[in-house]
Amino acid sequence: MTDPLKLSMRGLVKRFGGVVALDSVDFELRRGEVMALVGDNGAGKSTLIKTLAGAHMPDEGVMEIDGAPVRFTSPQDAWNRGVATIFQELALAGKMTIADNIFLGREIVRKVAGIPFLDRREMHRRSKELLERLDVVVPDIHTWVEYLSGGQRQGVAIARALNIDAEVIVMDEPTAALAVAEVRKVLEFIKALRRQGKSVVLISHNVQDVMEVSDRITVLRRGRRIGLLETANTTPEEVVGYITGAALAQKQQLEQA
Amino acid sequence: MWTILTSKVQKALWPRGASSRPFHIGREALLLIALAVLCAVFASQSEFFLSERNLTTVLRNSVDLSVVCAGMTIVIILGGIDVSVGGVLAVSAVLIGRAYQLGMPDWVVVPIGLAAGAALGALNGTIIARTRVPPIVATLGTMYIFIAVLFLVIGGVWISGLPASLSFLVLGEFLGLPAGLYVIGVIYALSWYLLRRTPWGQHVVAIGCDEGAARLVGIRVDRTKIQAYALLGLFAGLAAVLYVARLRNVEVNIGTNIALEAIAATILGGANIRGGTGSLLGALMGVLFIKITQNGLVLIGVSSLWETVVIGGLLIVVLVLDAFETRRVS
Repeated sequence: MTDPLKLSMRGLVKRFGGVVALDSVDFELRRGEVMALVGDNGAGKSTLIKTLAGAHMPDEGVMEIDGAPVRFTSPQDAWNRGVATIFQELALAGKMTIADNIFLGREIVRKVAGIPFLDRREMHRRSKELLERLDVVVPDIHTWVEYLSGGQRQGVAIARALNIDAEVIVMDEPTAALAVAEVRKVLEFIKALRRQGKSVVLISHNVQDVMEVSDRITVLRRGRRIGLLETANTTPEEVVGYITGAALAQKQQLEQA
Repeated sequence: MWTILTSKVQKALWPRGASSRPFHIGREALLLIALAVLCAVFASQSEFFLSERNLTTVLRNSVDLSVVCAGMTIVIILGGIDVSVGGVLAVSAVLIGRAYQLGMPDWVVVPIGLAAGAALGALNGTIIARTRVPPIVATLGTMYIFIAVLFLVIGGVWISGLPASLSFLVLGEFLGLPAGLYVIGVIYALSWYLLRRTPWGQHVVAIGCDEGAARLVGIRVDRTKIQAYALLGLFAGLAAVLYVARLRNVEVNIGTNIALEAIAATILGGANIRGGTGSLLGALMGVLFIKITQNGLVLIGVSSLWETVVIGGLLIVVLVLDAFETRRVS
């Protein structure tokens, strides 16, 4: 019994001049699943997530959400369709408070004598709720985001995605620049998202992290999907083998023999 | 030194700590101290300085700059800058002057001045938003054009003898206080509301922090920019109305220094030239600092040329200290 597909991409091709960055790639994501996306540098990970985020338009291929074809023309387009991509730079406004960031572009307004005013109290209250749902601990909700730690910022960025009711959350190397304790925290955020039925795409270089939180692993190599592994049925060595291409060579040898 | 001082003052005024301060309380408190010291020095050198008549004069001279400065603060928080506001003010003033000469009544002339200012501001904003030319370059270009328009229309001759029907806005008195104070109060209350109490203001701050982030969350960045520059233009148009109301003429060198003074006052008031932060109250105190310096130096018999040296020097000190603080934080 498998969950229905939340998102699928089939036959995705993206060329940059003569370079084929994605060569007929398939990708799928179930509801409530954490799908890791791994691969060496230049494997096509960035191109794939940029397509998912609406930053690139594919040259060929189809993308479906809940079985209906979609085509993202801009990052906002993707956000509006419930696909929130959290890039490494996080897209947070450093000199604004946590709540102001979570509600940026979606502010709550309350009318006083017919004049609209920001409803800061309500935005703070809902921000607190969102952060509690994720178990994000911050010193003070009024703190400027630039004074937060890397892990806390990830938490704020994820809370913002939850606030727009994103169903698919794409995280690009969320643990890359973090201290060990912070990494633990971010992995917990990802597990919390899965518990809430969200679908997560986790791009990571860290096989340990991938093994810990993912349900399945998509491996890209030289613009192709060379592996789709069940995390429970694989080993870190096998994943690394796929990433470096060793597993592929072995398989070919076996086939030839 | 500045950092230590500001953090001390901040802790006193904002006990939750420097990291949680939503505005520049520290800078404003320091400016208040600086203003008090400045006034004490001038008062000790000139007995006329603290007279009601002189203080009223300082206030009247501050009205146009204050109004422009409110708009400049918003534009600088947006991460922009506008060096053409003097030109906008000049073109609006010329149109106001010509309209009066044609015998138009106040209720026609004032909207013309305001609309001209807003339109030229919107032109600046459109150029900056659509072409992505750095704002300082774009507005430098439009400034030359606006000044050329001024000369072409005015032809090197003052427009003078304009009606005094609106003079009360600057020169009058209401409930024992100079009327200009109410004008400043209304403009700053409006600006504060727009900047700190509306989604639009949030978007301005976000664009100043990180334009890419603002775009990603769906903020209409270009439109917000155009609106911010148009608001500054509108305020420059209002400053033109007030200028004509006060002096009842339009001179060839109108608006020459106002852009640089407004930028200086905004930065003295705590705005970050890279965008994201700034303070309307601080900017207003910056205006007072500049205008009191100008007035006081004249009173104590120092050449007014020194005023620009004082303000320029102070500006550099503030910018250097800001740079240190930025480095310390990052």
